[in-house]
Amino acid sequence: MSKTLDHVIVSKIVRFAYLIEGSLQYRKVKDFTYDLLENDRYRYKRWFDFFMIFIILSSVLILVIGVKKPVPQWLDDYDLYFVTTIFIVEYLVRMWVYSDMHKIVIRASEESRYLHHPLSLYKLVGMIARDKWHYIISPSAIIDLVAILPSYRQIRILRILVLFRAFKMLRYARSLSGFLFILKSKKFELITLLTLTAFFVFIAGIMLYVFEGDGDNPNILNLFDAFYWALVTISTVGYGDISPVTPEGRVVSMLIIMTGVGLIAFMTSIIVSSFSERLIELREDRVVQEVGKKSHIIVICGFGIMGRKVAQGLLAEGRELIVLERDEEIAQKAHSSGYRSICADASQSSIFEQIGIEERISHVLCLTSDDEQNAFIAINVKSLNPDVTVTVRCSDKEIADKLRYAGIDQVIIPEEITALMGVVHAGEPVAFEALRSIIAYKGESHIDEVQVEPGSVLEYKRIEALKTKTFRLIILGIVRLNEEGEKDFLFNPDDETELLAGDDLVVMGHPAAIAHFKREVE
Amino acid sequence: MMYTEENKKEVILFGYGKFGRHMYHHLSQGGHHVKLATMVESNYEEASADRIKDIKRFNPKHNDSIRMLGINPAKHLLYCAMEHTSNNLFLVLSLRELYHDAMIVAISNSEENTRKLKYAGADTVIDIYEASAQHLVTNLTKPAVAEAISTIFFEKNNLKIAEILLESDTLLEGKHAAEIDFYGRGLILVAVIDREMGDELIYLSRGVDHKFDAGDTLVLAGKADDILSFKMELAGV
Repeated sequence: MSKTLDHVIVSKIVRFAYLIEGSLQYRKVKDFTYDLLENDRYRYKRWFDFFMIFIILSSVLILVIGVKKPVPQWLDDYDLYFVTTIFIVEYLVRMWVYSDMHKIVIRASEESRYLHHPLSLYKLVGMIARDKWHYIISPSAIIDLVAILPSYRQIRILRILVLFRAFKMLRYARSLSGFLFILKSKKFELITLLTLTAFFVFIAGIMLYVFEGDGDNPNILNLFDAFYWALVTISTVGYGDISPVTPEGRVVSMLIIMTGVGLIAFMTSIIVSSFSERLIELREDRVVQEVGKKSHIIVICGFGIMGRKVAQGLLAEGRELIVLERDEEIAQKAHSSGYRSICADASQSSIFEQIGIEERISHVLCLTSDDEQNAFIAINVKSLNPDVTVTVRCSDKEIADKLRYAGIDQVIIPEEITALMGVVHAGEPVAFEALRSIIAYKGESHIDEVQVEPGSVLEYKRIEALKTKTFRLIILGIVRLNEEGEKDFLFNPDDETELLAGDDLVVMGHPAAIAHFKREVE
Repeated sequence: MMYTEENKKEVILFGYGKFGRHMYHHLSQGGHHVKLATMVESNYEEASADRIKDIKRFNPKHNDSIRMLGINPAKHLLYCAMEHTSNNLFLVLSLRELYHDAMIVAISNSEENTRKLKYAGADTVIDIYEASAQHLVTNLTKPAVAEAISTIFFEKNNLKIAEILLESDTLLEGKHAAEIDFYGRGLILVAVIDREMGDELIYLSRGVDHKFDAGDTLVLAGKADDILSFKMELAGV
């Protein structure tokens, strides 16, 4: 290829790469595709996974049906054309989303400009190929590729590769991949066990062959038979198709049976211990996946007395919440009490990123009993996303001032709230009891709020027209934003007061009356 | 919340730890006269450093030491806010034994301790975490309600919640709640304690048109001036 042509093609590729880089549409499409294939928290991925599992199972089923009788033509066509096309497209799309080719091109072009070294087409293609090669040789991509091959029907042996389609399910069924992960974490122990088993099979097989392979045992014709017998015996399966006939052979049998029992127990203990070690982690992964479909999540950091009470209250109000607790035992207790809990250090960013600090979390409540820890968590959250509302518990006014200065939305001092209630009690003990019973929703009278939405029946309505006396409801007041954007509480508004969109009507009354009033205005 | 002279009480506060300190400052700011009693030497020193003058040392295990504080059950409210629940519990027990008619308020840090403190003789127990958790939950789930509660009960403004004990021969006696125009007086009648029916609060939202008698206690919310005017009206001034 002439240098001029090479240069022309490269410059066209570079120009195209910049075009893609600037295209919002392209980015959107690629992000959507990535989320669909790889992002476990993406709500539609679940449906895609179901679809792929269906495709895989139907393909395996067709293979099984085809063993005894010929499958109908339409099923064969479905398997050959539809399933295979889906797999090919999926393979190529996964390769596409694996990395950004245009970014490689742009980087190479900028480097060449900086170094005053012309960029050759050969080098460019090589860079892209190297990048994609990493994907091609990854285990999951190899399984994907092998799963496409059975569609080539001329070579019958390839049909057994349909089983690789079953392996593909590991991608889509999270429990299966979790199991595989557990086995992977015990790789060393399992390899040791396998080596040991192979060693015993080898020794026992040789011994039996030496003792009975000379014609004493008609079932042992060659070394393979001896190894087969050793494996079946050591695994404690014992089909009985081959059994030793000489006393020496039986001694070998006795030894290998005892070894087999030990090996099986060893393997069971490895898998069980691995499961128990990873079970909490798997459950927490599931918690993250579950909340991946939700929004406006409240995160409670710390599950002490305060955290537990807040969690109870929020759950009773039907709010979505997650408890983060550093202590494994307490996190487990939270889980046993029915809360979504994760054992994690909330002062680290990773757990918030996992849950989705950008799009899913609306509030974070820092409720541990340690002021410094709470401040640490709060600042961590605010630095990750300043739009998330953060409430911090602390024990001192000076610390509260510092936290407010740092931009924390709300600081509560339990001792102060208790003191304020104590003041109310000192002045008006009966009123104190009334207040306590109303705000704790323990008495016959509840306090609630009704929002005036734009265009709702309440907008521009006068208080008199609400006829709240019919429901025996008391209008305590209206919370309205003033011109500075701050909340004003208009106590006991007169009959002529007109409700505006954005107002919150605070009413007091019997719970059934409040519910009825809310239904009426909705 | 604003206070008129009549509802300022004399409080004897036991403890100047993290609970007691907050309690002392808010009660003082609320206009109550607070006498401080501490068991721990370091708390005594801290209180002295905070320029608190009316302060005494005491030992909750010795009745004489408690008697020396000069408690008058008819005049004093007793607030037990000691740091350790065991100390607080023993104090409540001692106070109840010594002063059967005293009004004892205790601070607790769990439901379990609330139960124990009540059993020991506390009239009212404020659970520090219950109150704060409720406040937080209301703030998150019903922000307008939280705003209303905070404005009426806790903030220093013209609004207040007050209780009025009905004397005999007032204009309310023998009348039903529906007959009285509280709204026209700028007031909201939140609840009533009917003397004849015991100490239970009756919320008018329940549907009962309550008949007022002497001895009833009315819980009203309103502006301080309106409440004062109503009290004067009841007194026939």
